[in-house]
Parts: sequence; structure tokens; C-alpha cells
Amino acid sequence: MAFDPHLIVEYAPLLGEGLWMTLRIVVAAFIVGYALGLIVALVSLLPGRLPRAGVALYGTILRGVPFIIVLFCVYYGLPFAGIRLPAFVVGTLALAIFNSAYYAEIIRAAIVALPRGQFESARAVGMSPAQAMWHIIGPQILRSLVPPSTNMTLTMIKESSVLSSITVGELTYQGLVMQGNTYAPIECFVAVGGIYWGVCAVVSWLSVRLERRVGLAQAAQINRNRLAASFLSFERPRS
Amino acid sequence: MTEAPILSVSGLTKSFRGRRAVDDVYLDVYKGEVIALIGPSGCGKSTLLRCMTWLEQPDDGFITIEGQPFGRERRGNVIVHQSRRTVDALRPKVGLVFQQLNLWPHLTVLENVVRAQTVVLRRSRHEAIARADGLFATLGLSAKADAFPYTLSGGQRQRVAIARALAMDPIVMLFDEPTSALDPELVGDVLSLLRQLASSGVTMIVVTHEVGFAISVADRIAVMDHGKIIEDGPKTQVLDNPSSERGARYLAHFARTTSYDIAREEPV
Repeated sequence: MAFDPHLIVEYAPLLGEGLWMTLRIVVAAFIVGYALGLIVALVSLLPGRLPRAGVALYGTILRGVPFIIVLFCVYYGLPFAGIRLPAFVVGTLALAIFNSAYYAEIIRAAIVALPRGQFESARAVGMSPAQAMWHIIGPQILRSLVPPSTNMTLTMIKESSVLSSITVGELTYQGLVMQGNTYAPIECFVAVGGIYWGVCAVVSWLSVRLERRVGLAQAAQINRNRLAASFLSFERPRS
Repeated sequence: MTEAPILSVSGLTKSFRGRRAVDDVYLDVYKGEVIALIGPSGCGKSTLLRCMTWLEQPDDGFITIEGQPFGRERRGNVIVHQSRRTVDALRPKVGLVFQQLNLWPHLTVLENVVRAQTVVLRRSRHEAIARADGLFATLGLSAKADAFPYTLSGGQRQRVAIARALAMDPIVMLFDEPTSALDPELVGDVLSLLRQLASSGVTMIVVTHEVGFAISVADRIAVMDHGKIIEDGPKTQVLDNPSSERGARYLAHFARTTSYDIAREEPV
């Protein structure tokens, strides 16, 4: 059985439809998931043990269970609660919630890694915690958030293929349809795999540009590192 | 002095894991005073300053700023904690210069001094910049307004940190070991800067190991040991007639290391 590229051309519209669905799901899940992750990260930094414990529980559960199981729980669980939503909405939501746990940990780690004095000096001049986050902490962590968030997002893009198992017509699902029609698994999965690869390549290229751009705009990381280094060595910087 | 203290601390206590870092401290600060807070390492000086800004919440005791309660207050028989908003609103009245300065590395020198004014005091940007420029002129930072903190020398950074606190128009400035993170060469500069601030009427409490400063600039010396203030009074009285044996021993040691610094630190 020879590899037949014509099959791929023939099914390109179907796969394109799947790609379009995948892109919409991934973008929506990224936005919702990141927003949720930010909230979870900020809650985990509230004073007292309860918020931290609650967030830890959220994290261990979501990070300790395979995505497909979380997906099934949400997909089959919601109707029991009387909530009926289209499969792609359920899938997007599950993807967002699942990844929010990872995003939260990324954001939390970036905040905690900043010297505590940065937050304290903002508070000392009378800024509220929210103002300190917005004016002082946020701008300093932006750049360091980009690489780990990109990694997580690439994983999420690939993981969105699991949504095919709840009949969401995304890329993998359409690939399976194509395979059912053509009995040509190699052509199907090479094409689908290639498209995923292309999407991920574009995302990582964008992230490198973003990182550079945020870095140039703020130079926060470099400044902080130099400042810290010169304090540690008690050395006057050569300027 | 007959006037009321601008900052008053009473019965302040703070423990960490059962160890009393600050133990029942009373301190009244009057306008224009320069207080040197000295004492052996780990005696609670820094913790006391952090409690006075409510960055560290004391377990017990009260603080008043210009007669207004700060942090917690007594209403009848109950002790009420102030809301975060109230504490935040009063906090800029106490200017704290951190030992590690904690400048904001992503902001320029100007922005370091302007940001809190616009965000917290809601000054217009124009007004805030005018205030910053005034401070930069006094502190010799005018040429550095657009520089980032990492390009500055240690002494310049210190000045930025001081400007950032002064811009909030505090009634009292707290300095946490202002010379400890500096090159020995720069210590003299910072001390003369503090002297300059003192002579312009800024009220301050300076945690220091610099005997020269304590002796030449401060007009009052408070000695802490094991979380308690064991000596507190006009500098001559504390230096010449310490009231406690422990205080006398510490001061004798303190003064021995000093003669050199005093000679070097003649007022300018």
C-alpha cells in the first residue's frame, strides 16, 4: 500500500474544518484557563492557611488525574447536575479548568521567586496588595512567565485532541472520520500530526518573539539580576 | 518637651515562634528628633521598625501617628483591628528605608519616586514629578532621573530609596541600617546625607551600628537588648550615665570602636 498524498488533498477541507475548531477551542481554553490560573495563584498567596490549602487541593487533584478522566467526569457529570451544554463547550471548559491548575502554579512560582522586599516596599509606601501586584510585581514577572506558559500551552494544544473522544469535531476527530472513510490510517495521521506540529511551531515562534519584546520593553529580569548580583558581591557596578 | 509626640509606641510586643523579638517597647518620638536606635545584632531593632510600619503585625501594643491610632485601636474595652484600607492610608506617614533598599528594578529612578505618589496619594503626574525633581535636587540625583536603578552606585541607590520615602511626605523617617550594605567609602556620604536631612528638620529613627552617626548626628539614643529598650534618653545622658548595667557594658564597647569614626565624621 503506497502513501497517497492525493487523499490528503481530497480531505483537506474536512481537516481544515477540524483545525478551525481546534484553534477556537485552544484560544478559548487558553484565555479562560489563564484567567482562572491567575485567580487561583492570587488566592494561594492570600494570608492564612485555608486559601493555600484549598489551592493545593485543587492543584493535586487536577494535576494527578489524566485529562481524559477529567473530561469524562465533566462531560457525563454535568447532565446529572441538570446542565446540558454542547460537547465543544464542555470540552473547552474541561481543558481550561485542567490547565488552570498548571498555569496557576507557573504564576505562583514566578511571584514567589521575586524577592519579598519588592512587595514589602510597595506596601510600605501605602500601596494596597492589588496595587503592589499591578505596579510592582506584575511587570517584573511578565517576562519570566512566557517560557513556562508556552510549554504548558503547547501541551494543551496537543491535549485538545482528547476532545475527539466526546465527539467534538476538532482536528483529531476529523482525522478519524477521514480514516473511517478511506481506510488509509498513515495518510490521515501523518496529515493530522503535521498540522498539530505546524500549529505548535507557530505558537513557539510567537512566544520567542513575545519574550524578546516583553524583555526589551521592560528589561526587568536583567535589571533585577544585575541589581541582585551587585548587592551580593557588594560591588559597585561599572557604569 | 510639652508638645505631643508625633509617633508613639506603647507596649509593643512581637514574638516569632515563641521568641520575643520585640518585648513591651515604649517609645515616644517628637517632631524634629533624630533617634539612633542601637543594640547588638538580633536584638529586635529591625523588627521594631517593621512593626512601626505595620509590615509586621505586632502581637500586642499600640501605635499612634499624630495622635491617630495606627493598626489597632481601643474602643471602650475592646481592641479593634483597623481595616487594611485604614492601615494603608496611614502607612505613608511613616517612611521606611529598607536595609536592602528594595528599589523597583523595572522602573526608572524618576518612576520609582513618582509611582507611589500618583497611585497612593493620587497626586497628578505633573505634581508628582515636581515633587520628585525637588527631592532629586536636594539629594543630588537630578542627572540620574531617567536611569534604571542597576546603573547607579550604592550611595545613589540609597538616595533613591530615601527620595521614594520622602516623596510621600512622611512625618517620620525610619532607616534600617542605612550603611550596612554599602562600600566603606560610601558610608561617610550617607552619614552626611542623614546629617543634612536632620538639619532640614526631618524627624528620624536610625537603626545603626555607626557610632559616629549616633554620636555626631543623633540627639537621642535608644539601646535595645533582647527585644527591650534598656536605655533611652538624650545622647549625652545615655553615653555618660547609662541607667542599666547591661546598657553601660554595651555602650562602653560601642564607644571603644568609635573614636576613629567620630574624628572622621566631623559635621560638614
